[in-house]
Amino acid sequence: MIVRAPHLRDDRLFDYYLAERAGDIVDPPAAEHLGDCAACGARYSELMRTMDAVRAEADAETDEIFPPERLRAQQQQIARRLEHVGRAPRVISFPGRLVSRHMTGSAARGVTQWVYAAAAAGLVIGVGLGSFYNAEWRSTHRGRQVAGPEIILAPSTAVATRGTGPAVEASDEAFLSDLEVALERPHTSELQPFDALTPHVRESR
Amino acid sequence: MSSDLQTSSDARPAGAADTPAAAAPGPKGRRPPVSEDSRLAIEIRSLVERGEMEEARERFGGLVAVHQRRASRIAYQYLRDAAEADEAVQDAFVKVFAHIASYREAWPFEVWFTRILINGCLDRRKARARRDRWFVSSIDATPADEARASAAIAAPGANPEARLLARERRSRLAAAIERLSGRQRDVFMLCHYGDCTPREVSAITGLNESTVRVHLFRAARKLRGFLGGTP
Repeated sequence: MIVRAPHLRDDRLFDYYLAERAGDIVDPPAAEHLGDCAACGARYSELMRTMDAVRAEADAETDEIFPPERLRAQQQQIARRLEHVGRAPRVISFPGRLVSRHMTGSAARGVTQWVYAAAAAGLVIGVGLGSFYNAEWRSTHRGRQVAGPEIILAPSTAVATRGTGPAVEASDEAFLSDLEVALERPHTSELQPFDALTPHVRESR
Repeated sequence: MSSDLQTSSDARPAGAADTPAAAAPGPKGRRPPVSEDSRLAIEIRSLVERGEMEEARERFGGLVAVHQRRASRIAYQYLRDAAEADEAVQDAFVKVFAHIASYREAWPFEVWFTRILINGCLDRRKARARRDRWFVSSIDATPADEARASAAIAAPGANPEARLLARERRSRLAAAIERLSGRQRDVFMLCHYGDCTPREVSAITGLNESTVRVHLFRAARKLRGFLGGTP
């Protein structure tokens, strides 16, 4: 009586597939069984087909996403990056002018103190000058207020002291009037004819 | 997203390289032959140690060319954003070059590099989650990605229907992967998108190899269930 060997378990079948794919020594009893048993042979073929399809899909996908030109570009990029490997990093010296501007904490504090001191000094000077000019202006204003009546009174006083009478007053008035006319006239010779033709306020009085 | 890789290496390449015993691949007492890229990494390390930086950079270009496509695939699957994936890949390569002196032969270069890349991706995911908590969500494709996808669909000669279906399939797959638990997702991505063997995944994550196998199997079973296959 011939006793038939039991069917191969899935894990043994898978091991057989892995060994065959890697080119390792396959399990001889399993190989013999696969040759004899149609059911196990079919199972093995199905396993092989699935696994090979998975692998082929991945290959096709990679070929599509990484075509030769992309791989070439990748190679060049790697070469470029390798240029910097093993080389001492280049230290770029910081520009001196910027370094002087770039202050430390204590330097910044010193500058701030100077700014505060200058602002305070400016304030003191401003207040001092302001009060000085204010006092000056007040004294001047007070002087004018005091001198006002004197000025008003001056003509009468002058007239009284000089004792020249209304004739002197009239000549003064005429002189001042001429002076005004001279000042009001345009100094440009080209405009003087126009000025002569134009009626003046003093003439209409 | 889990922080498995974060806790094990803390995204530090130097730290990652300092623990080779925990992740040294291969059976005990037998060291696997050094791969071509690992040999190149050792050469670059020697050049850097001698101070021949120009030569080291030039040689490093070769390493970038070998791992770039795979790295982009892993980063994109983690981040689902082309620009961010691009940056993550660049950062990983730059980090690797900057820390090449700490690279040890006990680690295949691929494992060391992948670990750095994934830690970077996890950091970015974490930062994005933090951003999304306070600002607008960025889980959806960026406008640039949308435009690129639309351009691809509208490209002359392409079959728009097929492209549309492919796009739908991919978004379903991405959503299904997103539903996996953090550890399962990490393991599945490393194995299926990162071309890593369970042994390498074990080295990257710090998990036991048999644990990696269990996670892988469970992830595959869940995915098949999510995608409508037999669970």
